[in-house]
Amino acid sequence: MSHGIPFFVFIIVSAVATIVVRLIPYYLSGTDHMPPYLKRCMRLLPVAAIGALIFPGVVTDFGTQWYAGIAGILAAALLGLKKLPMIASIVTSIIVTYLVLLI
Amino acid sequence: MESDELSFLGGLRDGFPICVGYFPTAMAFGLVCRNDSLKLWDAALFSLTNFAGSGQFLAESLLTSGAMIAELAISVFLVNLRYLFMGAVINANLTGVHGIRRFFIAFGTTDEVFSVSVLKGRLLTGSYMTGLQLISYLGWCSGTIVGFLIGSLLPYELQLAVGVTLYAMFSSLLSGAILTDGPWMLVIAAVSAATNSLLVRGVGLGTGWAFVISMLSATGIGALRPTTEEIAS
Repeated sequence: MSHGIPFFVFIIVSAVATIVVRLIPYYLSGTDHMPPYLKRCMRLLPVAAIGALIFPGVVTDFGTQWYAGIAGILAAALLGLKKLPMIASIVTSIIVTYLVLLI
Repeated sequence: MESDELSFLGGLRDGFPICVGYFPTAMAFGLVCRNDSLKLWDAALFSLTNFAGSGQFLAESLLTSGAMIAELAISVFLVNLRYLFMGAVINANLTGVHGIRRFFIAFGTTDEVFSVSVLKGRLLTGSYMTGLQLISYLGWCSGTIVGFLIGSLLPYELQLAVGVTLYAMFSSLLSGAILTDGPWMLVIAAVSAATNSLLVRGVGLGTGWAFVISMLSATGIGALRPTTEEIAS
């Protein structure tokens, strides 16, 4: 529990934040005529999010064995570049991280 | 009478590959939830009410790191902002859908549903969208529950290693973005990673706010450069 607030409250807040974004374009007109710069921003947001979602978490999550996480994401990135499906990347990454943790 | 292609069954058929792709990713979400000692009920509620990949992973990590509700709401809103653009495109192609069905189609807007329906390249029906989204939703929710349950069968070291799942997923997504949109995507992700590491570790800012600042600054810088192709709307 964070600050004594039950988890489900956070989950519902997250759901509402998600639903609001999704509803806006279906009920308001004009969102399909955004300036090119804003349109590019919308498309780049997920990629920009990825960087911050990986670092520094992947390093700090594994404490003194921080290199285990790095090895894992490198394996996933390589398989991703080889156009293998995401599940292959994820499974390989878990195996690599697991083996490095055992060293 | 609608054409078979744009019927409910047509939607189910087109959505099947999405369902198959969502299942393992959702399993990873279930595993991560279990690893962070959430209850099965919490994990299921997440997928049932959010139905969003990166948004859910982000919300889950903010929730377990003790972020404030405002931090979580703003971060999730921003990470999902692309649905504004996607929804606008789907909505422009959609005919004769009103009331609660319109609400559900808006709720089911995801990156993959967007790609598949827009590639259809013609007017979309409510039945088609319902079929497409329903099967995707089933894959996502069932995957979450299966992932959560299977997690309890894993040995301890493996459960720790499973913590890499989320990062592996993002790293694989980034590789995909680099393949489709070029190496500039790696630059954007690197700017965001460096900014976030500096704010969290160096400045000691809350994870949610640090995330918002990192994401917006990297996006702002990245969008200065025109992309090779703009999606026609």
